[in-house]
Amino acid sequence: MIGIWPILALMVFPGGLFILAGGLVYEWADRKLLALLQNRVGPRWFQPLADTVKLLAKEEIIPEKANKLLFIGLPVVALAGGLTAALYVPMAGIKPVYSFPGDLIVTLYLLSLLTLCLGLAGTNTLDRFSMIGATRTLTQVFSYEAPFLLALLIPAATVGSWQIGTIAAYAQSHWLILVQPVGFVVALIGLMGKLEMPPFDAPEAHTEISAGALTEYSGRGLAFFHLARAVELIIGLALVAAIYLGGVSNPLWFLAKTLALLFVMVGIQSLLTRLRIDQTVGLWWRYGAILVLVQWLVLILVNRI
Amino acid sequence: MESKREPERFTIAIGPQHPALKEPGSFQFTVDGEIVTKAYVRLGYAHRGIEKAAEQRNWIQDLYLLERICGICSHIHATAYCLAVEQLAHVEASARAQAIRVLVAELERIHSHFLWIGVSAHEAGFDTLFMYSWRDRETVMDLLEGLTGNRVNYSANVLGGVKCDIDGEQRTAILKGMDFLEKRARHYLDVLTNDGMFLQRTRGIAVMSRTQAEVMGAIGPTARASNVARDVRVESPYAAYKQYPVTMALDTRGDLEARFVVRVNELFESFRLIRLILDTLPEGELMVRFPRRVPAGEVVMRVEAPRGELFYFIKSNGSDRPERLKVRTPTICNITSVIKLAVGHQLADVPMILAGIDPCFSCNDRTVQLSHAEDGSSCMMKWEDLRRHGIEHYQGLCK
Repeated sequence: MIGIWPILALMVFPGGLFILAGGLVYEWADRKLLALLQNRVGPRWFQPLADTVKLLAKEEIIPEKANKLLFIGLPVVALAGGLTAALYVPMAGIKPVYSFPGDLIVTLYLLSLLTLCLGLAGTNTLDRFSMIGATRTLTQVFSYEAPFLLALLIPAATVGSWQIGTIAAYAQSHWLILVQPVGFVVALIGLMGKLEMPPFDAPEAHTEISAGALTEYSGRGLAFFHLARAVELIIGLALVAAIYLGGVSNPLWFLAKTLALLFVMVGIQSLLTRLRIDQTVGLWWRYGAILVLVQWLVLILVNRI
Repeated sequence: MESKREPERFTIAIGPQHPALKEPGSFQFTVDGEIVTKAYVRLGYAHRGIEKAAEQRNWIQDLYLLERICGICSHIHATAYCLAVEQLAHVEASARAQAIRVLVAELERIHSHFLWIGVSAHEAGFDTLFMYSWRDRETVMDLLEGLTGNRVNYSANVLGGVKCDIDGEQRTAILKGMDFLEKRARHYLDVLTNDGMFLQRTRGIAVMSRTQAEVMGAIGPTARASNVARDVRVESPYAAYKQYPVTMALDTRGDLEARFVVRVNELFESFRLIRLILDTLPEGELMVRFPRRVPAGEVVMRVEAPRGELFYFIKSNGSDRPERLKVRTPTICNITSVIKLAVGHQLADVPMILAGIDPCFSCNDRTVQLSHAEDGSSCMMKWEDLRRHGIEHYQGLCK
């Protein structure tokens, strides 16, 4: 017997409707803030929703030589990955609906699904821009993924649990950003890399390769990829806020902390020039990985003493 | 047995429709991973037949037609044409008219360079700089509108002089605008030469040595960034540049950063020149009478457009319209350098290298070359072929 609550959790809160709506709102906040910093007007509040509805209503064109199953299936998998991850993350001040030891790792991999799907979607078509975009997407994964993962595992090691719920509960009384500032910075920048925000937008640099891996996508598939990215934005923010910024114990704190994080991210976006793909890789392996390893070393030394 | 696999050719087509290009031009880049190994350009997508059209209009109508060759440097085209035709007709505009021509030309240079800073920053993925430089560009656009009545095709020139005069109010407005823009230009120079992230994309990229620039015939700011001292305003001053001499902005490095620095330094020179002209504007009539027919003869006119040397050749047979008119815009001279410099660079640098010469494809297209969709063979279309093709095409549509 399946009760009504799991279904509600899946369809309405925190999965499903809530996370989709939240994702679109945060996407709007991101675009609007960036526009204000760039001396533009920016989108109206319902613009992300309008974009999605419009895309969903449009015809989906499938390229001739592409594998149809993959072409249609990948956006769905990407979105599903994001929606599933929402179940394990403390949303809007409420404890994660589902929790088991080790769900931190599962969540991080669910969040990586989007990038993997993008890479596969790009290589699935014969389009040159898609191919190069996919190559860059996958190259970028190998640069930021390890430092990002390590940065989120530092708090886990501190608490001694790989369960998001436990870490978040511990973090409520300990602002981990104060003791592990380097880990926090790497996690936040890693999140920007994951979301392919500027300056890490080489995979979709439209002055070079049009829309990158998504060049051949239109209609429903494109809408799903956009939604998946919006969902990942809010989940990523919630995760970093819950782990590093003293937890998200009530909706107000959740809103304040995630928006503060978003604001920092928007500031970085507006200040920096796009990195070339070799520069991205260099940045992550030369600085990101080293910094996070130093943070680990500090942690190990402190624990020993 | 050794496997002898030819490395597969992976060619990326940028254009004729591509987000990096605001105008149609086709570039084929063969890449090995991210590195460009071969580059090929094909132009002619926006051939408008302006030279032919100019032969069928009279001298006055041509002025308005030629001003529309370029949407950014429209005034300099009209100036070149006016100066050339005035030379043919042995008419000389007054000193005041010449000074106003130079004033509008320098305002136009400011507008063009600010626009270019924005476009290049956008190509590099630095949209904040793009937005801000275009906001500041509005200042000079407003000044041009206040002066001539138009934002883009100012139509300030007439044969024998200029249409617009400068009164005290406009003088104050322009001076105020120049102060603001000079402050902004200083800020941009600071950003362009000190922002580490941006320098990663410009410093040492697409270095063109002085010899290379001379061999490839580069002109304008692109050449001056490679220390080629070539500026028509200096080497053969036209209009009022004799009274208002220009100092050339040069740089020895020849990379993308140098092209930024040279253009911003040209902005400072323009500010200085505009202030000087406003202070010492000679008195005189705006226009002199111009004959309807121009005596037979040939003339060559060179002027310095924001992008480099602009060349006009006009032949008159004594009637009320030119017999032949030839325009060479700066882009066609600089485009070779893009193809040459792109090889060996990353694909990500290509839009920047292309933007570095400030290309304007619609201005330079003089011919259409057709290439066959299947075998790639190319051919030219004659007037009769075009006519036949048109008839067949529309007959097909009627069926």
